[in-house]
Amino acid sequence: MEVEKKKLVIVGCGDGGIMLSHHTFKDFDVTIIDKSTMHYFQPWQLHIAFAGAKEKKIEKKKLLPRGINFINKEVKSVDLANRKIIFDGGELSYEYVVIDTGSTGDYSKIPGHQELFNEFGDTHSDTAGAERLWSKVRSFSGGDAVIGISYPTYKCPPSPNEAVFLFEEYLRKHKLKDKTKITFITPFPRAYPAEPINEFVEKAMKERDINIITFFDVESIDTKNKTISSIEGDTVHYDFAALVPPHKGAGIVKDFSDDDGFVKTDRFKLNIGNYDDAFCMGDATNIQTSKSAVTAHIESGVISDRLRGIDSKFDGRTNCPFEFGYHKATFVISSYTEPAVKLKPSTTNYIMKLGMKYMAWQVLKGNMDWFFKIYFSITDPAKLNKKIK
Amino acid sequence: MANIVVDARGSSCPGPIVELSKAYRNAKVGDIIEVWATDPGIKADAKAWAEKTKNQIIEIKEEDGVIKVSIKIVSR
Repeated sequence: MEVEKKKLVIVGCGDGGIMLSHHTFKDFDVTIIDKSTMHYFQPWQLHIAFAGAKEKKIEKKKLLPRGINFINKEVKSVDLANRKIIFDGGELSYEYVVIDTGSTGDYSKIPGHQELFNEFGDTHSDTAGAERLWSKVRSFSGGDAVIGISYPTYKCPPSPNEAVFLFEEYLRKHKLKDKTKITFITPFPRAYPAEPINEFVEKAMKERDINIITFFDVESIDTKNKTISSIEGDTVHYDFAALVPPHKGAGIVKDFSDDDGFVKTDRFKLNIGNYDDAFCMGDATNIQTSKSAVTAHIESGVISDRLRGIDSKFDGRTNCPFEFGYHKATFVISSYTEPAVKLKPSTTNYIMKLGMKYMAWQVLKGNMDWFFKIYFSITDPAKLNKKIK
Repeated sequence: MANIVVDARGSSCPGPIVELSKAYRNAKVGDIIEVWATDPGIKADAKAWAEKTKNQIIEIKEEDGVIKVSIKIVSR
């Protein structure tokens, strides 16, 4: 006799949601719901903005298992107490729910940020925003360039540093370096928050004459006078600016959303509150780890196990590719208990990072699971830290 | 004047200093921000932060493995 499959609803069809659907569709009755039908390779925005690359996108349906129920609607709220999901024009009930609604830029948090974004674009919105920034890069003829992080909550931690390295490389190539003062602003105490990686970052920034201002939390942007001011009391002038916006969550999980709309999630079990039938993953959580696709990738495996009653736990593992310009890159590999591995930027790492562009859709479809099982094992931060020390 | 407790226990560097700067965003002159952290990095980071923002560290103490840094907001 066939056992009826339990009903699993994945709210949000991001990288994590897609990967989870492949882990679970054989054993669960899976429905996935998202307001968008297109899936974008987001890391590529950096290359659109600083190298004029073309966007990489695909229909979400092509990434999902065949026959899975995909609903193209925006979810308005999730009521865990009553196991109910409300969306535009309807509602759903579930036996298990997983939230994967990601994070987006909040341009209303800082006065002047929306105007700055309208003028310059950035690397953290959409293709149009990245292309706007590329048009500003191309028309830049020298002056004060400010690149950085406006607020400490944002996705893809290395991306602002990568942006400044790629911009510096562009300026050198186009003989504009001598006409430009580059300033990198960050709310953190160092150019890169993780100390072992910061050693490489600060060294490269000094060598490339990039000025660093730490403890710079953006308070306001004056687009008329072209200045950016911090709550700590600094002000910088810009002729060119590329700022990562503060990020917010969707704020749809009733009683479990924090002030920035992120879901209050158990950092090991990934459950929401005490609900053993509700989970959250990826950028949508309030967990203090990297908001990145790799984190969502690893979390999808943990949630898949837990849905089956296996007591897997998320260890806070990160594996963020970090481009240094000039065809060099490193990876930020750490966990809750292990500091970032002091992995020197290299061309090999750069090729591996670039490879992700070509592998991305296969990774999401689960076709590279065998590879990542081996990769995550040999790059275990505890093992690497022991080896490198 | 308010006494604001920032509970960053269990959060690793730079988590505690990030929570401090978020609290500072909404703080007023005269407020006391007390950061609770388990990551020892908070001691050096809080000192550097206070120096940069021209605020005063009143006390740094340790109780049962928790580092408590009290900062008086005199500049905002």
